[in-house]
Amino acid sequence: MNIRVVIVDDEPLARLAVKLRLARRSGFALVGEFGDGDSAHAGILALRPDLVFIDVEMPGKTGLEVLAALPPAQRPMAILLTAYDSFALQAFDLAALDYLLKPVDDERLDEALDRAQQAFPYRAHGRTLPPATPALRSFSVRVGARTVLVPVAQVERIEADGDYATLHANGKTWLVRERLHNLAMQLDARQFHRVHRSTIVRLDMIAELRSLTNRDALLRLHDGSVLRASRTYMPALAEALQHLDKTSA
Amino acid sequence: MKVETPLFVPVLAALPVAACMAILGLPVFGYEYAAAFRSLYFVACLVWLIPLALLQRAMWRRDWPWLRMALVLLAASYAMSILNAVLGQGLGIWLGLQKHYRWNELAEGLDGCWLALIAFCAVHAVAAYYLSLQQVRLHLAEAQAAARDAQLRALRLQVNPHFLFNSLNAISALVSAQSNREANRMLGYVADFLRATLAHDGRHEHSLAEELALLDAYLKIEQARLGERLCLNMKAGPDLLDNVMPYLMLQPLVENAIRHGIAPLSVPGRLDIRLEQVGGRLLVEVRNDGQQPAQPGCGIGLANVRERLRHLYGDDQEVETGWGQDGRFGVRIALPLRSMAAAA
Repeated sequence: MNIRVVIVDDEPLARLAVKLRLARRSGFALVGEFGDGDSAHAGILALRPDLVFIDVEMPGKTGLEVLAALPPAQRPMAILLTAYDSFALQAFDLAALDYLLKPVDDERLDEALDRAQQAFPYRAHGRTLPPATPALRSFSVRVGARTVLVPVAQVERIEADGDYATLHANGKTWLVRERLHNLAMQLDARQFHRVHRSTIVRLDMIAELRSLTNRDALLRLHDGSVLRASRTYMPALAEALQHLDKTSA
Repeated sequence: MKVETPLFVPVLAALPVAACMAILGLPVFGYEYAAAFRSLYFVACLVWLIPLALLQRAMWRRDWPWLRMALVLLAASYAMSILNAVLGQGLGIWLGLQKHYRWNELAEGLDGCWLALIAFCAVHAVAAYYLSLQQVRLHLAEAQAAARDAQLRALRLQVNPHFLFNSLNAISALVSAQSNREANRMLGYVADFLRATLAHDGRHEHSLAEELALLDAYLKIEQARLGERLCLNMKAGPDLLDNVMPYLMLQPLVENAIRHGIAPLSVPGRLDIRLEQVGGRLLVEVRNDGQQPAQPGCGIGLANVRERLRHLYGDDQEVETGWGQDGRFGVRIALPLRSMAAAA
């Protein structure tokens, strides 16, 4: 069964950007596009989509207002789009599925769509988390002609590198032919966390976390390396770190 | 430059003088009626202080030369003292101490009043001059701070556009080559960098964490452009993230290292960025592989950084640059160790 999608943005090119990427994925069907908040409100009530991409800043009603005005039972999964944000927290208040900064890149959009696909089957039975897929034990990495197994427990962080990903483990780096968002789904969410569109980090490697004025944060790992954590991942990261504290205490 | 002093200055200047006058201002006779004479001279002098102060302020405002002001004030205060003496004789007649005005004795015994009025003028002049000088100094300091601020701003802005246009150019090349995915990724990185710079509130300093986040956004762009040709190794010591750092100082250093050092190489180049606490200072070290140029030159970027650091920290900073024995170029900067919390 396809996920029925509505795109709401006052700029046609912005709608096009989502539409083109959506067309590359299977399992999604675009059922409507709206250019302003009022028609979007009426359209969502009439079409009953499963997922809505909605721009936050629009003339008339903002995306957040459109969502807030819908009765919770008829509120579709929402992925918020914004050019210059100050809405992250409100977005999470509205239980938005994800929150993307424009310009949206392919990885980040794919990730949001993955989330939608994971959440979709459980929507009918209330919002329960999908069960964790069996976590990966080790990565197999090809080095020249041989294949090396890198145990997941040794991996400290993973950086996106185009269509590849770089594993950092024990001071060495390994190149894996897999995109970051695919790897993210195979890792144990209690140990590894996405902190940026291009970075996954093992939670117990984090030595210092300092929040920045733009609500991103900077992480320093135990080995001295520094990483940026994007604000769109911060609420989830903060929660995971708190959980980590409790389990280690 | 001259600054108007507030009216409380002559009032304060008058206090000691008025007190002296009450004692000094006694004429040669009238000891039986000391209280009456003292009150008369005291009140009269107090009243005279008002026109005298106004006169002095008016001349001061018109920028009269000191000598002229002094002569006018001496003459005015002399006339006032004579009038005081007339009043004194009037009181004497009224009390029956003398029959009529003795005009030839007017000039006698008026030194007390005159001296008091002169003293008032002198105290007033010194106080007004001192206060005005203070205020001029304050204005001057403010003007200097504003000028320094503007200069720092200008130095800082030289950094940005240069690199932004290079990035746009790289994206344009990716679009021409139909590398859509890479072009999109680059756009995302440029947007990240812009967001990080736009979030800045215009201060000249921010925390090391903010600076590293900016640097990281910048490095992502360079990594996307150079791929494997850039081997990056960035390490920061513990408890430094909150240290004060000049805004956008690391990025031009690193841009230099990449553009002039690593990018021209035909083999992959290594870039090391180290941040440590050494001897009560924050040590920043950027080292890169590169080809030593035939003529040693110093880029705009480095001169800019030196200039800004000198403005911000005076002698409390140090910049060392040069090619090392290992054939790598290095920049070492020592900065004061001071946390943002302490600076606020």
